Amino acid sequence: MAELVQYLITGVGVGCAYALLGSGLVVIYRVTRVVNFAQGAVAVLAALTVTTLLAAGLPHGLAEGLGVLLAGAAGLLTGLVATGKPGTTPQAALIVTLGLGVLAYAVEILFWGDQPRSFPGLPGATAGVQTHYLLIASVTALVLAATAVLFARTDLGRALTATAEDPYAARIVGIDVARMGLLAFTVGGALGGLAGVLITPVQQVTFDSDVALVVNGFSAAILGNLTRPGLTLAGGLLLGVVQALAGGYWNTSYQTEVALIFMLVVLVVRAGRLSSVETA
Amino acid sequence: MKWIILVAAGVVPVLLTPGQLTVYVLLGLAAMAVVGLSLLMGYAGQVSLGQASFTAIGAYTAGLLAVHGIPPLLGLLAAPLGAALAAVVVGVPILRLRGHQLAFATLALQLILLSVLGGADWAGGAIGLQGLPYLSIFGFELNEDLEYAYLVLAGVVLTTLITALLVRSRVGRGLRALATAPVAAAASGVPVGAYRLLVFAVSAAFAGFAGGVYAFYVGYLAPGSFPVLLSIEYVVMAVVGGLGSISGALFGAALITLVVQLLTTLATRPGMPSYAPSVLSYAVYAVLLIVIVLFVPRGIVPTLRRRSP
Repeated sequence: MAELVQYLITGVGVGCAYALLGSGLVVIYRVTRVVNFAQGAVAVLAALTVTTLLAAGLPHGLAEGLGVLLAGAAGLLTGLVATGKPGTTPQAALIVTLGLGVLAYAVEILFWGDQPRSFPGLPGATAGVQTHYLLIASVTALVLAATAVLFARTDLGRALTATAEDPYAARIVGIDVARMGLLAFTVGGALGGLAGVLITPVQQVTFDSDVALVVNGFSAAILGNLTRPGLTLAGGLLLGVVQALAGGYWNTSYQTEVALIFMLVVLVVRAGRLSSVETA
Repeated sequence: MKWIILVAAGVVPVLLTPGQLTVYVLLGLAAMAVVGLSLLMGYAGQVSLGQASFTAIGAYTAGLLAVHGIPPLLGLLAAPLGAALAAVVVGVPILRLRGHQLAFATLALQLILLSVLGGADWAGGAIGLQGLPYLSIFGFELNEDLEYAYLVLAGVVLTTLITALLVRSRVGRGLRALATAPVAAAASGVPVGAYRLLVFAVSAAFAGFAGGVYAFYVGYLAPGSFPVLLSIEYVVMAVVGGLGSISGALFGAALITLVVQLLTTLATRPGMPSYAPSVLSYAVYAVLLIVIVLFVPRGIVPTLRRRSP
């Protein structure tokens, strides 16, 4: 029983990080129709920056905050390169973000080398697991709630939603669609960076951890078809918990497969349903 | 022009030093996989981030047969068949997906494959298969780099010919219609699903053959020999050269291999930091990919062709 509670807590904690990363993908996809493959790279970049800032003596909190800010800036840069040139299709933009992810490898190895890195999170243990998992969950709850309020209650959020719903109509009522896209990339980057910063104390990070992170984030988001934040959170939690249970009761090496097969099944089932609707 | 390049490619191996011959072989292996990928991305209009999984399947098919005492030649022939079979099996469900969904699905399949291979005792686990024999064809053992260079050249010529025939056939015309207007193509009786699956299987077979040759050439296989980055490298080569263009695929593979090799040579000179080769090669992939996608979206070869009269 105690074991089960431990697996549930670690699963929820890790799942929250996937949900944050996936929410970043959702914010960007809704507004720009671009799947930002560099989302994992942004998370890794933020996490590695925090290791350096902490080593330089900055206090916890400030270091993490700066890491997230840097991730936002990296997100903005990604948006500028991937969508800044008029006429870039979402497909081309996906390939560009793939290129930016590889570029991040060069930068990360240059500054941090290719060895795994980590930094201490919240100390202490609750119910036999690191208290840090609870911190991940609480921060995720707060941040996702704040993001929901931002989208629903502020003018900026409504402008973003309007752009997501219908870019043409949004432009007619005077919304700068291109700027909204860049804003989405910035918010998405910051969410990705937050995920990376939160998860690093419990999972070491290397320059190429980005593939696993972005695939897990995408898997979480695909449950909501990359457009629904609520389902993304549910998807992230489901993934995290199933992975923790598979790792705990079965074999840790099957964790990745479980997440990936889940994603493939969701994708294929949905595609099957769509095409049967189309042909009907 | 075609013949000049072919003659040059035939003469060059004799003139190369052993180190350069290795580059020649690896270039040829990449070219085979990229010709297939370029066909898939250019004609079926699908992004695959998992082409290296078929290289891995081909390599392991050949390697596993060889360690169980099957003659290497049969192993080499089984490599493309194994890869094509795997492509058909996974292609039926996942080829319904489009765009970014297929990109992530193919990536996911490669990650699953690497994870399975890394944990499988029958495939040597993370250590992989070692001590694979040299390829021998009717008693003649290929144990020199030069012989592999000509084997690879033959492979590239063969994949190129198959692709050219496929593209010019009824299937090719159907595919072209499919790439530009899938609904119109389906309405005119093009069996959309079957053609997509065919291209997927053919492109996998090419990568599988490259993997089979690689297994015998290097004599050692591990999951780490086929990272996700190899798939991305293939995408870079295909996109830079020009999607859906055979000469573009060959040019892209040659350009990227040679540039990365040149930079690695520079970066491993005394005095350069140990991380220099990887940093430079990542930077080259990234910058070339981004610049070409944004500013030469059709790729280098098709763009040059259009410019010249």
